[in-house]
Amino acid sequence: MVFLLLQIFFSIFLNKKKYIMKNFKLIMMFGLMFFGFQLFAQTSTVKGKVTDETGAGLPGVSVVLKGTSVGTSTGPDGSFSLMAPATATLVFTSVGLSRVEEPVRGRTTLSIQLVKSSNSLDEVVVTALGIRRSKNSLSYAAQTVAGDEVSKTRTNNFMNNLSGKVSGVEIRQTNSLGGSSNVVLRGAKSITGNNQALFVIDGVPFDNSNNNSGNQVTGRGGYDYGNAAADINPDDIDAITVLKGAAASALYGSRGSNGVILITTKKGRKGLGVTINSGITAGSILKNTFASYQKEYGGGYGPYYEDGTGYFLFRDPNSGFSPVSSSSPNGRLVVPTSEDASYGGKFDPNLLVYQWNAFDPSSPNFGKATPWVGAANDPTTFFTKPTSYNNSVFIDGGSDKGTFKLGYTRTDDNGIVPNSKVTKNLMNFSSTYNITDKLTAGASINYSNIVGKGRYGTGYDDKNLATNFRQWWQTNVDVAELKSAYFRTGRNVTWNPADPTDLTPIYWDNPYFTRYENFQNDTRNRYFGYATLNYKITDWLNVLGRVSIDQYSEIQEERQAMGSVTVSNYSRFNRTYNETNFDLLINFDKDVAKNLNVKGLLGANIRKQTIESISASTNGGLIVPKIYALSNSANPVNAPLESDLRKEVDGVFAGGTISYKDMLTLDVTVRRDASSTLPKGNNSYYYPSVSLGYVFSKLFEKATWLTYGKIRANYAEVGADAPFYSTLDVYNIVNPFGSSPQASVASTKNNPSLLPEKTKSTEIGLEMSFLRSRIGFDMSYYNAESFNQILPTTVSTATGYSSKFLNAGTIINKGLEVSLYGTPIKTKDFSWNVNINWTRNRNNVKALFEGSSNLLLASFQGGVSINATLGQPFGTLRGANFVYTNGQKTIGSNGRYLQSATSNEVIGNPNPDWIGGINNSIKYKNVSLSWLVDVRQGGDLFSLDLYYGLATGLYPETTGLNELGNQSRNEISDGGGIINPGVTADGKQNTTRVTNAQFGSYGYRRVPAAGFVYDASYVKLREAVLTYSLPGSIMKMVPAFKGIDLSLIGRNLWIIHKNLPYADPEEAISSGNLQGYQVGAYPTTRAFTFNVKLRF
Amino acid sequence: MKKIIILLLLPLLFMAGCTKDLTSLNEDPKNPSVVPSYALFTNAQRTLSNTLTSSSVNLNIFRLIVQYWTETTYTDESNYDLQTRQIPRGVWNSLYRDVLRDFQEAKNLIPTDVLDGTGKPDVAKQKNEMAIVDIMQVYTWYYLVTTFGNLPYSEALNIDKPFPKYDDQKAIYTDLLFRLNADIAALGGTASFGSADVLYKGDPAKWKKFAASLQLKMGMTIADSDPALAKTAVEAAIATGVLAGNNDNALFSYLSGPPNTNPIWVDLVQSGRKDFVATSTIINKMKTLGDPRLPFYFTLDGGGTDYIGGIAGASNNYTTYSKPSAKITAADFPALLMGYSEVRFLLSEAKERGYNVPGTAAEHYSAAITASIQYWGGTATQAATYLLQPEVAYSTATGDWKQKIGTQKYFSLYNRGWDEWIEQRRLDQPVIVAPSTAVSEYPVRFTYNVDEQNINTANYNAASTAIGGDEVTTKLFWDKF
Repeated sequence: MVFLLLQIFFSIFLNKKKYIMKNFKLIMMFGLMFFGFQLFAQTSTVKGKVTDETGAGLPGVSVVLKGTSVGTSTGPDGSFSLMAPATATLVFTSVGLSRVEEPVRGRTTLSIQLVKSSNSLDEVVVTALGIRRSKNSLSYAAQTVAGDEVSKTRTNNFMNNLSGKVSGVEIRQTNSLGGSSNVVLRGAKSITGNNQALFVIDGVPFDNSNNNSGNQVTGRGGYDYGNAAADINPDDIDAITVLKGAAASALYGSRGSNGVILITTKKGRKGLGVTINSGITAGSILKNTFASYQKEYGGGYGPYYEDGTGYFLFRDPNSGFSPVSSSSPNGRLVVPTSEDASYGGKFDPNLLVYQWNAFDPSSPNFGKATPWVGAANDPTTFFTKPTSYNNSVFIDGGSDKGTFKLGYTRTDDNGIVPNSKVTKNLMNFSSTYNITDKLTAGASINYSNIVGKGRYGTGYDDKNLATNFRQWWQTNVDVAELKSAYFRTGRNVTWNPADPTDLTPIYWDNPYFTRYENFQNDTRNRYFGYATLNYKITDWLNVLGRVSIDQYSEIQEERQAMGSVTVSNYSRFNRTYNETNFDLLINFDKDVAKNLNVKGLLGANIRKQTIESISASTNGGLIVPKIYALSNSANPVNAPLESDLRKEVDGVFAGGTISYKDMLTLDVTVRRDASSTLPKGNNSYYYPSVSLGYVFSKLFEKATWLTYGKIRANYAEVGADAPFYSTLDVYNIVNPFGSSPQASVASTKNNPSLLPEKTKSTEIGLEMSFLRSRIGFDMSYYNAESFNQILPTTVSTATGYSSKFLNAGTIINKGLEVSLYGTPIKTKDFSWNVNINWTRNRNNVKALFEGSSNLLLASFQGGVSINATLGQPFGTLRGANFVYTNGQKTIGSNGRYLQSATSNEVIGNPNPDWIGGINNSIKYKNVSLSWLVDVRQGGDLFSLDLYYGLATGLYPETTGLNELGNQSRNEISDGGGIINPGVTADGKQNTTRVTNAQFGSYGYRRVPAAGFVYDASYVKLREAVLTYSLPGSIMKMVPAFKGIDLSLIGRNLWIIHKNLPYADPEEAISSGNLQGYQVGAYPTTRAFTFNVKLRF
Repeated sequence: MKKIIILLLLPLLFMAGCTKDLTSLNEDPKNPSVVPSYALFTNAQRTLSNTLTSSSVNLNIFRLIVQYWTETTYTDESNYDLQTRQIPRGVWNSLYRDVLRDFQEAKNLIPTDVLDGTGKPDVAKQKNEMAIVDIMQVYTWYYLVTTFGNLPYSEALNIDKPFPKYDDQKAIYTDLLFRLNADIAALGGTASFGSADVLYKGDPAKWKKFAASLQLKMGMTIADSDPALAKTAVEAAIATGVLAGNNDNALFSYLSGPPNTNPIWVDLVQSGRKDFVATSTIINKMKTLGDPRLPFYFTLDGGGTDYIGGIAGASNNYTTYSKPSAKITAADFPALLMGYSEVRFLLSEAKERGYNVPGTAAEHYSAAITASIQYWGGTATQAATYLLQPEVAYSTATGDWKQKIGTQKYFSLYNRGWDEWIEQRRLDQPVIVAPSTAVSEYPVRFTYNVDEQNINTANYNAASTAIGGDEVTTKLFWDKF
């Protein structure tokens, strides 16, 4: 029947008038049938209370007349009342609790107990477009996480708290303050497009843009401004449902093609509830995620400077440290200040050397030579102890006429580098009002305000001090002295001046100057909200109309002070994002016969999106110090860059579900989208899905060991539109040359005949639980083929273009997801739950455009690139490789590693073999403890930090004794030097000794890029939460409170295992498709939070 | 009943509200679909000048290759490491995509957007402009083909051939000379680009001299490999009339404010970096001869008393050595794209090769040196004094004409590393010894853009085979010795 309706519906849409006329009678017939099913029974008020296992009232439980959408929810004490026919059955559901169906049988008071079981198969799951379904009836993979799971750690970015808690989800986070999180479900499907999951709040898409610059994401500097889903208030989350596959998300249209993270916010309940959280966090860096320094040699690149040893400058302190000459004859040892490496002179406390602080008149060491020793305070001491404050208050309430919720959360995070802070103010309000019995109005408005100041510099840039400290540093420089030099003078007194006679910085500023003068700031104000009208035509049929907005504006201001190593500068970037959605949804849900339930959905959606931005910058420096305004530009300001992106997508969709005996469920959906970004004539596309679930355990009801068993299978197609403005060609206007205008042909050729791209996916799944749900699993196998991808395909630049938009390229993702859960111990006072998630995804680039075998995604410093390579997993790292002879690295006649002829070999695959998480929770009376072990196995990353840092001699590996027992840094003539392990071209063991007196032997100049590709596996104790809920006996003494919970929370407590030295293998530059490259990685913070939660 | 039907139709009514043409939303409101042809021309000319002039280690390392300069600390490029920074990719992309493509687009637009006062095509102006753009393209191709060898040419600059085939370098070269002939013939009158042309303000007469000088230069480049064609080109150029003095020099006059300054200023002054010092290779030779151009080329050393060059390819202490002069590093120092001095050197050489050239080789040689000294700021007297030295004077200087001309050309082409790299490979003078630490022998060509290996694989492989291997040691067709 649903099929017929769908058919009719679409025939109407397609203007097949004949068909409509022919079927008009049919429609009427169905209409009559529906009306015929209406029940006319005597109704009366049913009251009752819903409690948990301990007898405590359960608030917020949904109470619905079975087979209808008529219902209510319980108040703070668990009580409810509603009008119900004496013959009705009431269905009690709440996220995270098992579903209970209770026939009224003429009673007027009911007492219901709901059992808490985080993996109950009867639990309610919110599915696409906010439709609530029992998990039992789902025929696709959907995993739910309670809001408490992501909010209990009191961190300000809930996305990171999903890591390890859901199978099929790969989350990569950055260590940058307020930095971005990469959230990818079931592997990258789009070669150059967006692969991030779609966030949906209460049925409304929530933008998760990451507008980090192209330079930032390729590690060339800039700030990580994070992604916009960080605006979501963790305290407002009631539950998160992850719709992993296309079948689950098909109703969202093209946007849902990467999977959907559905967030259901908290709703007001009857009565009044107040919850207050207050937390304070203190942390420190994990030492094994940052550099360790050798303590034997100081600043320099080798013995080629001015004094006799060659390791030092030789200058006359009496004549302004000018080079020794007849007029300045008194040569003294001076550190080669311009050199940002530690291949200099061997430390010797008896050797007196003029160092950087000897040139600063305000320094106690001014004009003094000081002992040549390693710094007492190395750069690890630069990092401050981060602190955070997290406070929130939530008030909710309601009556028969409606409900409301009001929440406010404020977090203040201070980072691990000085002068860094991100503050968030998040406000949430929603309300519903029953205008009549049938008509309900609802509205929600959420405001978020994110203010960042002094976010960490990223990438290979002078404002990323991690790059400075990990790659280019003098081990003799004391960070504490730099700190006092800056605070003493307020000037850029750097350790790295161009020369003792020219104290301008050459490569690096004083790090404190960088932090306090070259800082950025940013603000984002966002309004997200909606208004709905829900009209219940009958018990089983309702219409929902909704208008929603997601609007934010942001400003980013970046500064480079006068006196910095790079040209002083001020730039500002303003961006506004605006999305409006108009939705119309018609839902029906009816038991059409005994054992046969039909649900249906018809809908339409109009989405309008506008993204405007403008960025402007001073030109060639500032005039007046410390005034950061465009008008303070040394040269006329170049025309700002403007962008105005507009898009509209119009969609209509329909879905139907037929359930037989709660045993067999068939879901069918179809959606048609028309997108403005596609060329006229080809701008609409359809995608269907069909899913079937079969609860086979119903056949074995006598088998007590088997609690539940379901097998499910589905198939779906999802289409996607083109990026903005990729069909029509435009020119780039270039700043004029004097008064001559300039223009250029864009480097990407657009294409007026693009077609929508497609993903076809199939999924099969098996869910089973045993021994009354004490143990169970849920597993899925999927295969998704994304083809006809709209790509800016790389073409030979001999065409005059870098790329051309085409439909080309296929990626296949295959994977297995397993969630295992068990309750090893369960007694009255003590319980232990284990929940394991395991994900394995394999992807393969199956086709690219015509004859090409590679598509360059981006090239990076170090001669490496990230690519889509034919026949390889997505995102291959390419670069220069070793040359192998009989499986061993080959050494050339000069004693150095031979490098492959091209810098073009595949040297790494950033995709993990598998990822997983093990959650344990133990509860004893009022004390609960949970902890999460997060695992990532395999996957590669290239470390530019070690590529350079090993070359510049910062790390202990670059010093020490050689096989002769001599200092390897000695000249070969003094028994120094090293012998690279490997074989010569004829296969014999290498015996050629090479010098290690100059920089480079272990680093980038002498070892190919492949030498800096590391295994990115890790095992982490990600979080642990210890909570003590004050027992009832104490609570009685404070009657104002309903509950008081005290929690001690630890984050990133221990990296149990990793293979990457000196850094956290999880640290990334940004979110997006370019993963597997580290530059200037920040250390990971171990943080402890003490939180008090009060409920009134 | 009715209700239900209305209800089911609601989504459609809903959508009816947005039946307007969606596609119109997909027109970029901030970027134009039409621009004037001269705006593309100016941009291409500036980008070309930047590419030839830049000292960025990611793009133009020719000063390091021919050992005018060397690096202080990060010595990779001085040691001929082309791969780490993917320099062939930089050169290739810049000339093909950023220069040739915009010139080509200017050619596409000129026939429709260069109009007279009445809105009709200005045929005379169009003809000159088309010729000038083509000359600039030929000039650009000259650097490409002398750098890489076989190249996508007949199928290049055509997006419908995303993976173009490579043409034989000699065939490309012959066609370039052919195009140049046609361009010279086409030029006449006075109407052309005007101020959009930074080199000659659109003066067709100057352009004619420039084109003839390029013809002379291109002719001489193939003197060893195709003497007949070389002779024809050179004599045709002389007949047309080549640059006749420093005031004919093709100067790209940079502005003093970013982003339109000389790129060397950006790399050396604005950046605050101290990456480059002079090499002993050039300094020692010039010092021996007391070359009056030394103060225009370099600063004094750290001690402030002498000109000292660092060792090419070795680690060099910045303070110790002479650096590029303030003249070169000035923001508005013009780039020289074709100079009178080099023209006279070419004439001198043509004479030695027996082509029909007026004057003597020695006269041209002396005039070339004098022109260079004067261009750099020296006086005629200084030039005369310099020329009197036995090691400079044409009659007495060491070696054959190749050595004499090669040596002096090396000095006069200072700061134009790319051109000197071509001349040095052709004349094999002066002899440049690769640093002992170099990763390869002295490069006589660039390897292809690495992207071509990946995406234009079949054509790349065919081209590599055709030229004798994609190596820096594979000699190009004109580099016979």
